[in-house]
Amino acid sequence: MADTNYDRQNPAFYVLIAILILMSVGPVIILLANSMRLDVDITSGVGGLIFMPTIRNYETALCDILWYEPEHLRFCQIRFGGAFINSIIIALISTALTLIFGCMAAYALVRFKFMGRDTVSLSTLAVRMIPPAVLLVPVFGLWNNAFCLDNDYGLGAWIRDTFGGRGDVCLAGTHSGIIIVYVAMNLPFVIWILQSFIVQVPKSLEEAARVDGAGPFQVFFLVVLPLIKPGLAAASIFTFRIAWNEYLLASALADRDTMTVPILIVNNASEFDGLGTIFATGMLLAIPPILFTLFASRQIITGMTAGAVKG
Amino acid sequence: MNRSTPYLFIAPAALVMALALFYPIGYMMWGSFRDWDPTQNISETEFVGFANYVRLWGDAFFWESFSVTLIFAFTVVVVEMVIGVGLALLLDRNIRGMSVLRTLFILPMMIAPVVVGLVWRFMFHQTYGTFNRFLNWIGDTWWGNLLGIGPVDWLGQNPLLSVIFADIWQWTPFIFILSLAALQSLPRSALEAARIDGATGWQQVWFIKLPLMAPVLVVTMLLRLIDAFKVLEVILVMTGGGPGLSTEILALRIARTAREFRELGEAAAMSNYLLMLLMLLTLGMFAFNRWTEARSRKLKFAAEEEG
Amino acid sequence: MLKRLLATTMVAGVAMTGAAFADGHSNPYAEYEGTTLVVNFPAHPHYNAVMEVLPEFTAQTGIEVEVDMLPYLDMRERQTLELALDEGAYDMIAYVVFSKADYVYADQILNLAPFFMNPRLADPNYDAEDLIDGYVQNIGVAGGERGYLPGPTGSLYGLPFGSETSVLYYRTDVFEEHGLEVPETYDDFLALACEIPELVPGMGGVASRAASGHQASHAFLLHLAPLGGRVFGDGWDPTINSPEGVAAAEALRSIVECGPEGSSAFGPAEAANAFAQGQAAMFLDSIAFAATFEDESRSTVAGNVGWAPHPVGVRAASQTGGFGIAIPRNGANPEAAFLLMQWLTSREGDLAVAMAGGNPSRFSTYANEELNAQYPWSSTFGEALADADPDWRPIIPPWGRINADIGTTMSQVLTEGLDPQEALDGIAERTRALMEEEGYYTWQ
Repeated sequence: MADTNYDRQNPAFYVLIAILILMSVGPVIILLANSMRLDVDITSGVGGLIFMPTIRNYETALCDILWYEPEHLRFCQIRFGGAFINSIIIALISTALTLIFGCMAAYALVRFKFMGRDTVSLSTLAVRMIPPAVLLVPVFGLWNNAFCLDNDYGLGAWIRDTFGGRGDVCLAGTHSGIIIVYVAMNLPFVIWILQSFIVQVPKSLEEAARVDGAGPFQVFFLVVLPLIKPGLAAASIFTFRIAWNEYLLASALADRDTMTVPILIVNNASEFDGLGTIFATGMLLAIPPILFTLFASRQIITGMTAGAVKG
Repeated sequence: MNRSTPYLFIAPAALVMALALFYPIGYMMWGSFRDWDPTQNISETEFVGFANYVRLWGDAFFWESFSVTLIFAFTVVVVEMVIGVGLALLLDRNIRGMSVLRTLFILPMMIAPVVVGLVWRFMFHQTYGTFNRFLNWIGDTWWGNLLGIGPVDWLGQNPLLSVIFADIWQWTPFIFILSLAALQSLPRSALEAARIDGATGWQQVWFIKLPLMAPVLVVTMLLRLIDAFKVLEVILVMTGGGPGLSTEILALRIARTAREFRELGEAAAMSNYLLMLLMLLTLGMFAFNRWTEARSRKLKFAAEEEG
Repeated sequence: MLKRLLATTMVAGVAMTGAAFADGHSNPYAEYEGTTLVVNFPAHPHYNAVMEVLPEFTAQTGIEVEVDMLPYLDMRERQTLELALDEGAYDMIAYVVFSKADYVYADQILNLAPFFMNPRLADPNYDAEDLIDGYVQNIGVAGGERGYLPGPTGSLYGLPFGSETSVLYYRTDVFEEHGLEVPETYDDFLALACEIPELVPGMGGVASRAASGHQASHAFLLHLAPLGGRVFGDGWDPTINSPEGVAAAEALRSIVECGPEGSSAFGPAEAANAFAQGQAAMFLDSIAFAATFEDESRSTVAGNVGWAPHPVGVRAASQTGGFGIAIPRNGANPEAAFLLMQWLTSREGDLAVAMAGGNPSRFSTYANEELNAQYPWSSTFGEALADADPDWRPIIPPWGRINADIGTTMSQVLTEGLDPQEALDGIAERTRALMEEEGYYTWQ
């Protein structure tokens, strides 16, 4: 679409567009502005958008990974650094696993004619319908009790000897425990999206590869995967977004060593001092999604429309 | 090709979903018939039959939560559909700034719900919130004073409205973008034909565009409705479910029952009620979808024949 | 200022250990040197002060302390989980008073008698007589009268640490300017609460907690005891809907209505903040906030705050609450945990924490001159403790649900105009059903 080719329109449309843009960005700007203000300035509200920015809130939030001790702090209470690392580990690994498993499943469903497409979309939709809150109770119970290894013998004992820690080896409180839930939660959606991309891959290409002696896994990884890159990009952004932003299940499963950033935010959202700090934490959490929006909006829109229109 | 290959491809996904989705759901069904405390292993718990379900049936707080959930979900979906589709119809044209809007419009959906809750709680704050500051400013002008405009106790007196606003902000773009995509993929021939026949803008929208978009709109609405029942974090951070029970949606009540009251059995039964409700809604929407699809196919066919 | 405080504490601490060594005894901590204790504390001004004193403990004893700090409602939830495991992560926990019932009943925290009997662990100079008796009884002892109160059958499970009572904060400048008297009775207090917004436009009478849930319940109970009510009468009969209960609900409602803007959504932090920003003339809440109000970086009313005991209604009954510390049954180092517990609540430890801004657990600390010079409110608070009411709310396992019910319903009274009598009747009815289910009427 060339820039010069716009139709001339009623100026009211430009005003409308400007207002909509302002509305979608406004709260984010407020978040950013507040994260750089002192608490007193936030609550007294002087200055509007013109104020002396401070990085103090960020220092407070990041105190556990800073190389110096911020002067205004009595001790380091908010351990954002640790939570941030946990969030990254959990979001990246669960995104990678979801994509790998999801691709393979979607491919099989399309190519090997497992079930009718209707059945698949119906069942993915049915699974997608399950709210995380419904999973809260059983996952909490299973991860803390049933999915545990006794620490007295066998694998459980080995894990305790090697990695330390106390009690039976349970899924709860580990990164893997949270990752597996996220993978399961995201798979239906990813399978659904990727199917619509895989359908478009010409079968002849795969057959040509097979004639050349490639096995089914080689065909899949070397021929199909490169062709559905846009779908993969979209799917990975959506999966990452959920794994990165999710609070409820993580809060039930994480312990103090595996706590993610959203938990940190909710835990500290109602504390007396630290309004600015909590905005700084929120801003840090919002950075990856903001980057995605700015640099991959096309993929996001493709993913959204593929999910709804083609499903 | 080996006969087992398809199974190998499906196995990892199936295994994970079985372990972390289907088994837990089954576990929840089982647990809902038990007097279950988080400190116990479920096999040590007492079987109580339908006691949890019966108790909820007579629990006024549960029903209030139930109705709050329905009011919230349907209000946001209806309002978002109207605004989203309306904007799409209005802005479906080649116009400067649209690409920027499409990019930035995604922002609200991408940001973590806990952060959205945080910002909106601030904006709705009684004394230093953005909205009340704005209302105060208007109230200080002579005409604002005349109209009696002043600060509103958003989270205290209008809590449900406040969380609905936040959700509309976050999710209207979703509907806008999907309807825009649907609009742009409509058969141009049908629209041309209508224009040649002298249909006004409204007539085009009402008799051609909307019916042709219907299947996509129904799916969009269904997705949005499903997601509206999943909303939790925004409300948790904004109001914590209060004041009273005015914003305590079912998801929040489930979480509270499980974690604060430590009644896992009851929470499981509540989860089951929620699941049943969603199942009914989804099936209903599916039937509706079939109907609109058949209708739009007929329409498309007719339009193409005419064109 | 903090650096100086720490220095004082350090000197006191060093003097203490110095004396122990000079006596020719071996170091009682030697055996536990190098142990790392994992403790769970709430995010609370008292525990912020503890954080400053802990390095001194490590320096003296060689025992490392790792602190997991959580907001206190989350802390309770985390503990519920951790304590149920065979082996838990925490060696010592701080617990909210009403958790005492749950933990003792479920046999999850250790009785402290074996530790105090152990000559290798118990410090002969501990001076238990000096601990504020009301706190120890309320927070530490279980198994006596009604199960949760002290009595001949009771025994000690925890020590008060970061315990608190309620006091009335007021703006000396506002009271002086308008010639107001500090209210001593509830009638005066309630009248004044609604008089102030008329005298000083834009200023609320009393900043109070009122947010739905625990906060609204807390605020209601705060008035219930002084106005003569109780949640339960004899035989666990719910009496919350008595005329006294209705009076308490009405008191809370008028306080919130005459309070600063947005009161109905206030938690303790917001309420304290409203007072600190000059939006209210009075604040009836925990003693824990005193230091915050004098901190000029967080308060615009520093230097203009006065302190008075909780106003008296039918009875003088300020709340008793806050936190205690206990040793979980599933902890890894109960003995070292006991040493930490003993150190923190010793005369020296208590004073050091108090000097850093914590709430004293000892009479001697309240009487300490240095502390009074530093924190002029200390003596008032010490006096207020005389009227602390250990029974202002029941501490029984079903309390969590009853508390949530009161909180939700009271919030409806405050925001949705629900009639107080009707609201309390509803709570009483649901509470009776719950108590029946939990077996409290078995012996009737």
